[in-house]
Amino acid sequence: MAMGDIAFNLLIFFVILARAQDDSHLQWTPAKAGNLEQAGHSMVSVVVDNENKLYLNGQEIGVSQLADAIEEQLGDTKAGERTVLLKVHQEAVALRFEPVIEAVSEAGGDLVHIVEDVKKQ
Amino acid sequence: MAMRRNTRLLIEPPASATGDIAFNLIVFFLVCASVQPDSGRKQTIPKAEQTEQKEQQTDTISVELTRLAVFLDGDPVTQKNFGPRIKAKLDSRSNPAEKVVVVKSKPDTPYNHWIAVTSQIEDAGGIVTLQLEEEQTVIVP
Repeated sequence: MAMGDIAFNLLIFFVILARAQDDSHLQWTPAKAGNLEQAGHSMVSVVVDNENKLYLNGQEIGVSQLADAIEEQLGDTKAGERTVLLKVHQEAVALRFEPVIEAVSEAGGDLVHIVEDVKKQ
Repeated sequence: MAMRRNTRLLIEPPASATGDIAFNLIVFFLVCASVQPDSGRKQTIPKAEQTEQKEQQTDTISVELTRLAVFLDGDPVTQKNFGPRIKAKLDSRSNPAEKVVVVKSKPDTPYNHWIAVTSQIEDAGGIVTLQLEEEQTVIVP
């Protein structure tokens, strides 16, 4: 009985550990938009937080290194599975987020803006 | 020999297991909360290419964003009217190449304003292309 519990807990532990792109500690408020769809599984997540800092999979990074780092993360992943989640704080300015979008596009990522449904108030 | 039926339908689990049960429940809800899928908007932006400033094609739709305002082909539009206006413009074009909308943002344009406008362009059937200004350092002797 206890062996089953131990195995189950170990399984969960490794499942959580495998979620490498953990960025749950970052502070950002999503913007609102309509017609949303499920983002699905992604290996890469880019965050611009409420202090205008840029993170790739939870690690701080400079915008000049971003395109190469995303390309490295995506590797030879085939088209359609190259999803890059972009989480930008709602008050971040174009000067900050546009070069990030450009870098994702340059790395050949399929960009998904993570936003909140406009209907949810 | 008649067998006595067990009338005790509810059997309490051993008290020593409550800790394990509570722990597993906590882990279960933690995992449920952490794997909640994100929802968002897909956006396909053409790959960046550096081009010399050419003569602008006159029939390309351009949208300019400032901190609070939207300009559609140079005309100021409210965010509420922007959707119907861009849809009318795009509906009159049948060729997909003509549905490209060049979006140029002032450096102080906030993301919530930008995403609201680009969402409306995509919902109207437009293809968003960003026009970024490149920083250049000029050394004056």
